Amino acid sequence: MPPAVPRRFIMTAAVAAGLVVLVGVGFLAWIGTGRGLVPVEPASPNADDIQLLYVFVGAFASAIFLIVTIPLAAFTIRFRRGRRSRDEEGPQITGNTNLELAWTAGPILILVAIATFTFIKLSGIANAPAATDALDVRVTGRQFYWQYEYPNGVITIDRLRAPQGRVVDLTIVAPVWDVNHSWWVPELAGKRDAIPGVTNHTWFRATRTGVFDGRCAELCGVEHAFMTTSVEVMPSAEFDQWLSSETRAQQQGSSNLGGEVFQGVCAKCHGPQGQGAYARAIANNPIFADADATRTLLDNGVQNGTRVMPPVGRGWSEQQTQAVLDYLQKNLAPQTGGTTAGG
Amino acid sequence: MFTGDTYNELFTMHGTTMIFLAVVPVWAGLANFLVPLMIGARDMAFPRLNALSYWLFLAGGIVLYSSWFAKGGAPKAGWTSYVPLSIQIPGTGQDLWILSLHILTISSLAGAINFMVTIHNMRAQGMNWMRLPLFVWSIEVYALLLLLTLPALSAGLTLMLLDRQAGTHFFEPDHGGNAILYQHVFWFFGHPEVYVMILPAFGIISEVIPVFARKPIFGYKAIAYSTAAIGFMSMLVWAHHMFTVGLPTGLQALFMITSMAIAVPTGVKIFNWVATTWRGNIHFDTAMLYALGFIAVFTIGGLSGIFLAVFPFDWQAQDSYFVVAHLHYVLFGGSVFALIAGLFYWWPKIFGRMLDERLGKISFVLVFVGFNVTFQPQHLLGLLGMVRRVYDYPDESLWNTYNLISSIGSYIMAAGLLVILANMLVYGRRGVRAKNDPWVADTLEWYATSPPPPHNFDDVPYVTSARPLRDLRRQLQEARV
Repeated sequence: MPPAVPRRFIMTAAVAAGLVVLVGVGFLAWIGTGRGLVPVEPASPNADDIQLLYVFVGAFASAIFLIVTIPLAAFTIRFRRGRRSRDEEGPQITGNTNLELAWTAGPILILVAIATFTFIKLSGIANAPAATDALDVRVTGRQFYWQYEYPNGVITIDRLRAPQGRVVDLTIVAPVWDVNHSWWVPELAGKRDAIPGVTNHTWFRATRTGVFDGRCAELCGVEHAFMTTSVEVMPSAEFDQWLSSETRAQQQGSSNLGGEVFQGVCAKCHGPQGQGAYARAIANNPIFADADATRTLLDNGVQNGTRVMPPVGRGWSEQQTQAVLDYLQKNLAPQTGGTTAGG
Repeated sequence: MFTGDTYNELFTMHGTTMIFLAVVPVWAGLANFLVPLMIGARDMAFPRLNALSYWLFLAGGIVLYSSWFAKGGAPKAGWTSYVPLSIQIPGTGQDLWILSLHILTISSLAGAINFMVTIHNMRAQGMNWMRLPLFVWSIEVYALLLLLTLPALSAGLTLMLLDRQAGTHFFEPDHGGNAILYQHVFWFFGHPEVYVMILPAFGIISEVIPVFARKPIFGYKAIAYSTAAIGFMSMLVWAHHMFTVGLPTGLQALFMITSMAIAVPTGVKIFNWVATTWRGNIHFDTAMLYALGFIAVFTIGGLSGIFLAVFPFDWQAQDSYFVVAHLHYVLFGGSVFALIAGLFYWWPKIFGRMLDERLGKISFVLVFVGFNVTFQPQHLLGLLGMVRRVYDYPDESLWNTYNLISSIGSYIMAAGLLVILANMLVYGRRGVRAKNDPWVADTLEWYATSPPPPHNFDDVPYVTSARPLRDLRRQLQEARV
């Protein structure tokens, strides 16, 4: 006759379950203080809901961890060898069907609960709320920079400015000749890959102003580590003001777009002054005095043995290309070449 | 410290080495020795195929490491080598990586076929499937998974090689190829591969815990069937590595559910191991300490897997240090802890000498503490937004703190591993001579001498249960009385 479910086993399990509830509550309280295991404080409803999922799963996960480890510790201490010999056997219990059923059904119920809660929260995370004043931004991931394009054609590199409280819809792409990237600003939204040939979407609605740092999360080559980005959330009115002044400046060619591109696109490999870093020095390179040659370079990139410069400027608008050419000619071309000297 | 290039080469080689040259072949090696012994056979079914498998493994390793001297340096697209990056990288390192994996694939396939034929045909008389040692069960499923999924890897790598060298465009979007297709093909192999690496670890734990608790395994059938269930389900979860590529929501939900479901048979195993210790006579030999440590840390690795299966959370955690922590809890806290347990347990059988227990226990404390100090903070780094595969990061105080803690932990862990190495070098050859059955164990390998002769056994007892050696001991006792 198989041995009955041992009473002490049940008792221990009950004590463990009690402790689990206590620690689970403690865990939730700790999270609630905002200084616990979730140091990134969400600043958008979707990031907020993801955090809620994390806490929900965390409570169950902590409970299961304790259900396993407390009996494990208790049994190994209580039933340690002591002075017994190796020959002495414990009771020959080979199993118990009811227990097997219990620890199969229990986890299933927990997983059903987690899945159900996920589905409840899903649409609030995945789908942007319908909004008439939503701002559409096209995000392009490229080796090794993020290009943001506003609906009116304004372009920024690596820094996205966004209005507080408005839905920002992001369309995330990578040029077909590029590699995979992944856009991730943890305070605002989960990551979404930028894959050549694929169009992805995500969104956020920033609940507070500030600068939120993000980075490329998919290995994209040698300067993957420096493919960082940031989102500057401004009060809505301030944003509108910035956008209109930037629009004017970019149309007139008086913006700092050229400098922004240089810092985001060129400087990561060639150094902030073009003095050389991973890639060669480009300061005082005569090619920058020749606009056509520079255009070709930006459009085709370079393959020099096993080192490659990606075609960083392929597909840029004329306005963007011109801004960069002007900047390069003014700041990096040799100063003795007769061109007007720049700063 | 490094340039981006060198760093990318290092983590690519680290991942590839640990998976293809360390964990998978180490199970093949251990199983090669143990499977025939545990089922009462004289050798593996095809000894020459076995030799072929070994020499191909060696060749694959040499090809991979020769890439350090290749034009353009070692491969640097990560162990997953996602396209299009892996197609665009110039030089020959990436091609050597593909060649090496092709060679290792053939090696693994040869080994897998050999294991299956051996287990199916060469069991001792009376050893039916419900009397098969649980480690052998795990090797059966290990072999089956390799057999079913390695061809997918071969196909994917061949297409990658053609794209690189023959001008085809299977994965190149600028010529109409599909970059996501590679990820599907890779992970159809890659996720079962995770279970290829962890199932034999489960098998070892299922052997070690009953022997050192002096009890039969709790729920033999449940553990055996859950091994098969995990193997089957592991082939249905691959897209949980791809939650951020923009799959349709329904598909993501499906893969969330299958990924969660795999936790059920895994949980069954864990609960059965814990129950096995109940009312035992628990001996804290080094093998048992590592096995108990395994249960604790592997549970953490399994639970962080539940977080990652919840796909909206994965949108945050994917490719962050949270994933790095998770996979090391599973592969180091899981596979490597079990491997060390297995080494201490079977060393006397393999080499005829006992490893030193005191050094073993010191190593356990160092490795257990060092491991947790190294990898626990990486969960938090991931939640803080640190992505993997970056050689440098902006100076943020919490990141620095957690990374520093992690580095300190890695030195503690390395010290523990050095103690194990010293133990093997010193006591492995000069330790106390091992008796045939030093642990008073249950399975047939302890019936042979330590070390066993080339033909393993002169005779094998008729097997009437999953614990033939214990049966034999009892018969002898009764005969004496």
